Amino acid sequence: MLETPGAVLPLNYWPVMVYGLIAIAFGIVTITIGYFFRPSKPSQSKLSPYECGCPPVGDARERFSVKFYIIAMLFVLFDLETVFMFPWAIDFKALGAFGFYEMLVFIFILMVGYVYAWKKGALDWD
Amino acid sequence: MLLQTGFIYFATVIVVCALMVITRKNPVHSVLFMLPLFFHVAGIFIMLNAEFVAAVQVLVYAGAIMVLFLFVVMLLNIQKERVRPRVGLKWTFTAPLGLTLFGFLVAILVRSQYNGTQGSFTIEAVKQIGNSQAIGQVLYTDFLFPFEVASVILLVAMVGAIVLAKKRLD
Amino acid sequence: MVPISHILILAGMIFALGVVCVFAHRNILMILIGVEIMLNAAGLAFVAGSMRWGMPEGQIFVLFLMAMAASEVSVGLALVVYLHKRKRSVNIDDFNEMKD
Repeated sequence: MLETPGAVLPLNYWPVMVYGLIAIAFGIVTITIGYFFRPSKPSQSKLSPYECGCPPVGDARERFSVKFYIIAMLFVLFDLETVFMFPWAIDFKALGAFGFYEMLVFIFILMVGYVYAWKKGALDWD
Repeated sequence: MLLQTGFIYFATVIVVCALMVITRKNPVHSVLFMLPLFFHVAGIFIMLNAEFVAAVQVLVYAGAIMVLFLFVVMLLNIQKERVRPRVGLKWTFTAPLGLTLFGFLVAILVRSQYNGTQGSFTIEAVKQIGNSQAIGQVLYTDFLFPFEVASVILLVAMVGAIVLAKKRLD
Repeated sequence: MVPISHILILAGMIFALGVVCVFAHRNILMILIGVEIMLNAAGLAFVAGSMRWGMPEGQIFVLFLMAMAASEVSVGLALVVYLHKRKRSVNIDDFNEMKD
């Protein structure tokens, strides 16, 4: 069994963990306090789903359009493009002109996809 | 001591979440159990000094891929159309299969030797120049070609998904 | 300190669970989720190796793996949406013909 060499870095991240614990505990504690202190008098109109004061129309679990999917998909792919740009931006000076041109090629290839999506009408809402 | 405790916590949560993901009947619950799974995998990445990869894991998996899965589950409204009960024996075959595969992997791990030379990407080096910088310096020089190919893969995925999603049924 | 073998065993466990997910479900979405879990296990093994041998390559390959996973998911889910439009079903047993 081999050991990973001196792992010291992760200990700098303990505030993140404390932050997460506080966030979870806040949710649990406030809901629990509310559960014990609020009056509970359910009635027909209180339990019906709220729809701007009008009587609710249709089911809440309505299927929604495939247009949302296309936008979400484009978001995921351009998100990945941005991920590849972070280390490049940090190392920009060290990489010099060569790094600049290779990133131009990268962006150009993805720009082709962007233009294609635009021309195909994937970004139009109607 | 702290690291061992952290590792046991992360590993337990990951395995429990994965078990919950594969045993839920409702796909929405499965997708929602993937969220803590991805976050805890990111936690293990941080324990392994891979800060940038951990951040990307949260951004891409927990932020983007999860959203895509949830969108599709909502889009298709799968709860309504009951998934047909299939011809029994669901776990009787697959659970031994998974255990056998895991046994093979452990057997390989036990027999393997961890030799090889140490690279220059040690903790001291990472502390000196920073994790993202170190990744960038290799990614944009030695891995230039895979990097450009990654953009082509993203382009192909974009075109393919748009063609499939915009396709009209005749 | 955590030995690398423990991390690799954890990765193997997640990978086996992903395989079980792929084989146990007939729902295409669950199969894609299983593939995602397996890809995460592979990434974990890559990062563990990168840490053990002091090489940044492992972490860089996890970045490529994530680009691949995102592409795979967006095309796979577009296929799911398209198949659902055609047959009103996400059960993989309904798609056993090449053409219909």
